[in-house]
This record gives sequence, C-alpha cells and structure tokens, in this order.
Amino acid sequence: MKVTEAQLLDMIAEEAIIDRATLKREATLGDLGISSLDVITLLFELEEKFGVVIEEGDMPAMTTLGEMVDYLMGRINAEAA
Amino acid sequence: MSRRIAVTGLGAVSALGATAAANWQAVREGRCGITLHRFDGGPYAPEPVIIPAALAPEGFSAAAEARLGRKILGSVDRFAQLAVCAAYEALESAGLVDHEALAERTGVVLGHGQGGQETLEKSYERYFGLRSQRMHPATVPKIMVSGAVSAVAMQFGIHGPVFATSSACASSAHAIIQGAGLIHTGLADVAVVGGSEAIATPGCMSGWQAVQALAAQTCRPFSKDRDGMAMAEGGAVLVLEDYAHAEARGAEILGEFLGGGMSSDAGHITQPSLAGTSAAMARAARAAGLLDDEQVLISAHGTGTPLNDRNEAASIHAVFGERARSHPVIATKSAHGHLIGGSAALQAVIALHALREGAAPPVLNFNAPDPECDIDLVVGQLRPITARRALVNAFAFGGLNASLAFAA
Repeated sequence: MKVTEAQLLDMIAEEAIIDRATLKREATLGDLGISSLDVITLLFELEEKFGVVIEEGDMPAMTTLGEMVDYLMGRINAEAA
Repeated sequence: MSRRIAVTGLGAVSALGATAAANWQAVREGRCGITLHRFDGGPYAPEPVIIPAALAPEGFSAAAEARLGRKILGSVDRFAQLAVCAAYEALESAGLVDHEALAERTGVVLGHGQGGQETLEKSYERYFGLRSQRMHPATVPKIMVSGAVSAVAMQFGIHGPVFATSSACASSAHAIIQGAGLIHTGLADVAVVGGSEAIATPGCMSGWQAVQALAAQTCRPFSKDRDGMAMAEGGAVLVLEDYAHAEARGAEILGEFLGGGMSSDAGHITQPSLAGTSAAMARAARAAGLLDDEQVLISAHGTGTPLNDRNEAASIHAVFGERARSHPVIATKSAHGHLIGGSAALQAVIALHALREGAAPPVLNFNAPDPECDIDLVVGQLRPITARRALVNAFAFGGLNASLAFAA
C-alpha cells in the first residue's frame, strides 16, 4: 500500500500532537517540537499500517519536515511498488 | 512543626464533576456517581463483566485543554491527564499558573496505586494478542507511576522536588504528608500534592473482582448490608504553601494542613489491623493537637467492605475513647467511589469544603446501622457541624495507613 504526503502529515500531526496547519515542509523538526520519541512512535504506526520496517537508526540526518516526509514516502512507496 | 502550612488551591475530577466545587456540590446534595458499567476486554478476554464503578465524566479535560493545549495532555495516560486537570484547577485557584514561585521553589508530590493501566492493557493486547512486531514505543513513558508528576511539572514549569508516592489506597495521603515535609524542611515554599487513578479498565476490574473486594451494586459504607467497594477514577490536587509565603503574596487561604500520621500494620496484605490504623489516626490527631476538640469531622476511609468499616469504627473508639461518638463521621466514597491513589486527596478537598461551610454530607446508599460500627455516622441529609478541624483517613492494602489533619 502506498502512502500520500497528506496521509503522512496527518499521522505526524496525530503522533506528535501538533496542529496539522503548522506542518510546513520547510519547518525544522526542532521548531515543530518533534522529538526522537515522536519519530519512533511514527515509525511504529507506519510499520503497523504499511508493513514497512524502518529503523530510526537507519534514517539519515535530516533537519526539515520536508526531508523526513520525502524519506519516509520514498521508503514506503518503494516497498509498495 | 516549625512552619505553618496553608492550603491555597483545590482541584478535583471525579464522576461527580470536573471541578472541586462540582464535587462538593454533588456530595452536599447527596448525588451518587456510582453506576453499573460493562467492562469488555475485547476478543482475547472472557465474557464482559458488569460491575459498579464511578467513571470520570466525558470531556473532563476540556477546560484544561482549552488553556494548556494538547501537547502534554494528549501524550500521557489517562491517570496523568486526570492529575494535570486537577493540578490546573488547583494552581489556577491559587493564582499560581505562570507565577514566578512555580520555578525553583515549588515541588510536586502525587500518589497513585498504579500507573498507566489503560496504556498497559492496550499495549499488551496489541503485542500479545494481535502479535504486533514490537511494543508501542510510548508504553514505558506512559505507564510509569511517575508519569503524572512529570506531566504536571512539564505543563506548569515546576523545577523543584518532584516525585510520586505509591501506597495503594493511601498513596495521595502519603503524598500530601511528603509534600508538607518539603515545606517544613525548607526545600520548597509551595507543594502541589494529591493523587489520581485510572484503573477502571477491563483487566484491572477483573483483578479487583477476583480479590472479592467489589460491591455487587453500589458502595454502602458502615451499612449493615455493605458488600464491598466501588472502583472509581479521578484525581484531586491541593496546593500547600508556606503560610507566610501565601500571606505575603496575598493568596486566599482556604485552610491549613495541621499534620499527618503514618503507620504500617506489618501484618496481612489485605486485612487491616486495629493497632495500625488507630496508630496513624492518633499520630495525626496528636500532631494537630485536636484530641480534646469538642467536635472533629472524621472523613472515614469507609470503603464499604465488611473488614475495613468494622476496623475503622473500632479505630475511632481506640483514638477518641469515651468521646468517640462526639465526632461526626462521613464516608464520601459512597458518592465518588474509591479512587484508590486519588481517594485521600479528594476526601481532603471535600473535608475542607465541609469545614468551611459548617456542614457534613450524608453517607449514601445507607440502609441499616451495624452494631459493630458504633459511630456518629452522618446519614440521611446534610448536617450542620461545629467542627473546625478534620481528620481524613486512608488505610491501604498491605497495611499502609495515613491520616491527615486539616483546619479551615
């Protein structure tokens, strides 16, 4: 199953408890208050929903929300292809 | 005691309402929050069970969320949400939200019998039942017993001594005494104290049913036909403050914490001991110097179990002797149920309201006196009282006892 950017942003807003409207691609994870625990929880939910195992330790260093979204979409949609 | 301790803020959430005032109004009107509920453990559990319980009202966190947002409230277990909501009301009523005193010189001590039971059961169902590949990553931070005090500290920016106490049904009584100790020893000027519990979950309710402590229909403290307790969820918080500190900032003083008494039965894991419970009461009464008061309001632990109520009545006689029947006894678990770790704090909130109004709320669901409980129980309707001081009892499984003395 493929994931869309909108779906991913919905899940990030829910897991990190952030107002969806504030999730701009250029915003940094730090500014948005997205912690390491938020990321791990998001990866857990993505694994449950899309069946793709992504380890936090395998993720490249990233600063902005857009970078994280692109990476996660790439991983999930590559396995779904 | 060298420093007097004022009570400057109160907060409460229970089945009776989402504020301290709503809880007091309900008990003074004789409203009962206990009803039958169906607990369904899902596809991996036996048949659902129907058990009396007193659950927190829908939307109990709405007022707190409107002011504080959901970042913290949305990320913690229900027992911590209840604590944050009660703490918010208490700090707001004390005029301390965003106050500079909350930084270094404030502590938080809250009591809980267990931690995030709802989280634990859901995570376990997902992991062991649905065979999820990993445990939910938020499980550990949400189930830890100290999760609630951390949430309160983070929410309100409190940087002083912060820790949780756990002594089953006496947890918040021990928390209040420890919080007062921070002020007595000069470690803090303000202590946010109390407790919360949210264990009305399918697994936990089945555990309480198995230990045969639960009533079939409702909680009837000291009634001859009582048959057990009614589980409840909720939280209650008091703001304790160095008296001079409170006066200096012009805070309204709602009452005074006079002292507490603690004891351990060192006997049986579920059966109470007269020596243990009466020792805790006597120590609190002596600390407060109220043994010779003409009238003392006694807020009984009053769970409605045959063993507790008989032992508690005997304890009142052991402590007050010939004057035992001079003191009106209330048992508000008949209205709000047993909040386990949160009970003593909620009873303290109610006792302070009762002292301030000069009125004792009736024990509900009472059918007939028990000759083995020869005390002046307040039944039927709200009763005017002259007492200016109160004792609040909490006698826990494992023989952990605490009694609190307040004045208003």
